[in-house]
Amino acid sequence: MRILLVEDDQMIGEPLLDLLRAEGYAVDWVRDGVLADSALQTQNYDLALLDLGLPKRDGLSVLRALRARKQRLPVLIATARDALPQRIEGLDAGADDYVLKPFELDELLARIRALLRRASGRAEPVYEHLGVSINPATHEAMVDGRPVSLSAREWAVLEPLLARPGLVLSRQQLEEKLYGWKDEISSNAVEVYVHGLRKKLGAELIQNVRGLGYRVPKQ
Amino acid sequence: MMLKQMKQWFQAVPSLRRRLMLFLLAAVSLAALAQGLSSYRTALQEADEIFDYQMQQTAMAMTSGSYPQGLPQELELVIQAWTPEGLQVFRSGVQLPQRAVLGFTNVEAEGRHYRVLSVQRGGQVLQLAQDLTVRQRLAGRLALRTIMPIAIMLPVLMLVVGWVVSRSLAPVERVRRQLAARAADDLAPVQETGLPVEIRPMVGELNSLLGRVQRSYQAQQHFVADAAHELRSPLTALKLQVQALQRAGDEEGRTLAQTRLAAGIERAGHLVEQLLLLARQEAAGDELQPVALDALLRQVMGEQAAAQAKQIDLGLLGADAGNIRGNADALALLLRNVLGNSIKYTPAGGKVDVGLLYEGSTLRLRVEDSGPGIAPAERERVFDRFYRSPETQGAGGSGLGLAIVRAVAERHGARIHLGRSAALGGLQFDLYFSKV
Repeated sequence: MRILLVEDDQMIGEPLLDLLRAEGYAVDWVRDGVLADSALQTQNYDLALLDLGLPKRDGLSVLRALRARKQRLPVLIATARDALPQRIEGLDAGADDYVLKPFELDELLARIRALLRRASGRAEPVYEHLGVSINPATHEAMVDGRPVSLSAREWAVLEPLLARPGLVLSRQQLEEKLYGWKDEISSNAVEVYVHGLRKKLGAELIQNVRGLGYRVPKQ
Repeated sequence: MMLKQMKQWFQAVPSLRRRLMLFLLAAVSLAALAQGLSSYRTALQEADEIFDYQMQQTAMAMTSGSYPQGLPQELELVIQAWTPEGLQVFRSGVQLPQRAVLGFTNVEAEGRHYRVLSVQRGGQVLQLAQDLTVRQRLAGRLALRTIMPIAIMLPVLMLVVGWVVSRSLAPVERVRRQLAARAADDLAPVQETGLPVEIRPMVGELNSLLGRVQRSYQAQQHFVADAAHELRSPLTALKLQVQALQRAGDEEGRTLAQTRLAAGIERAGHLVEQLLLLARQEAAGDELQPVALDALLRQVMGEQAAAQAKQIDLGLLGADAGNIRGNADALALLLRNVLGNSIKYTPAGGKVDVGLLYEGSTLRLRVEDSGPGIAPAERERVFDRFYRSPETQGAGGSGLGLAIVRAVAERHGARIHLGRSAALGGLQFDLYFSKV
């Protein structure tokens, strides 16, 4: 899953970037409102984590522009603006959730998972399909009730496929879930991880759709 | 003494409306009462004279042997006639004691008081008497009729007084109601139209006070909101840095997390320090002593190690011996912040010039640098607490340095002027102290 982190404070952005990556998310970090707006227009993100007090352009304005373009990705506001009218304004401007700084990291991660879950059209916290189940909160994967250990990268490829069975994701789309801007992408990375996942979870779970990409079959 | 008493009475009634009502109505009532009493008394007296005159006329009209028959009944006259020998030849009504005294007298007969007129007429003594209660009843009726207009006018007058007082004070009441109905944070001005000239200046002053309170309230609100934001950011950073340290997988990650945590603590500590300095400057009293500004400037300039580290050419162009009244610690803080600011924003290898000289009666401190300067539109705002220029947001200061400078300058009655340095192209900071 790919997240846009919008945070002007370097001392918050640096550890948050590392912590989100350690959770297996591909994260891009921008430090002002103008860059945030252009990143949202050019890249596909699964979620945006948005600070409000930003240089050059306020976070709320970025959010309103995003919603005016009918982009539907979940937006989680993380800000120190704590007054009730501000929280209401943030949610009414199109945010899906609002956390106050200083927040608890675990809570922030849980809220991110909840938003991603909802955005993929499901309510159950554990994804279960064709005998494979994955729990994004604990990062535990099971095949027929038997725990399997997955690397963070493998997880990043599996999660979006399992989140919406039947949906085909191209190699490029999967690469986007794997890497931020500055990461170097090896040309066959997705193939390598898919190969690893087939070995651990069974050859039939992830199908090749020739010329299009990969999918987890519906049945 | 009397005036003092009056003043006390006035103050005993705190409400203007009640005071006006009370004293005006009391005065009106007193005047009406005095007027009524005097009319009543005059009427009684005049009635007395009229009755006496009537009795005299009646007596004059009587000749011996002819006694009036058709006297008005309501006068209730008693008539007796006596011969000089003392023989009563005529009597109507009660028996009155025989009186030798001629003229008017008041006598008592059968338990009642009579007004008696004795006259000699045709060899007879005529006595005319009138019951005083009857007379008083008649006179009273007459007198009452004279005070009737006053009695009718009094309540009308009172109503008029009450109405005028109420109407006159209605604007005051309206202002009171407007103020009473407000929420605690509603500091909008009170409506001034339609107010009498006596009250309008007062309401005007009230409105200007409300305006000042409003501004300082808003400034305070902004400060609280800003301070909340500024305190939460380092706290958020610290929390995340601790989490990152706990979750660090290897030695390299742990070292990085520790470095970041230390920097975070450093920053939080700096912010708290600056906030305390600012609070102290804003709340400081006026313990001012003579301070040699030139010596202080040399000392602070000597401390600027950051300039050397950045290869910045920091120089003193000239320093007039300048004594001002002030607080040496606060002034040192001001100089440190101004110099520190210039050094921070001036690129490595740049130049910062400092000069202290008299311009007429004012002592001018000038700090110029070759940095980016401050755009004219921002020159006012940079002194606001927590304000950071959008361009220099990354520089990572507390946003309080110049706010502290302004607080110290205000405490010393010094004026700040920001401009563009003609010599170096960057910021020109001028501070004018008036001479001791």
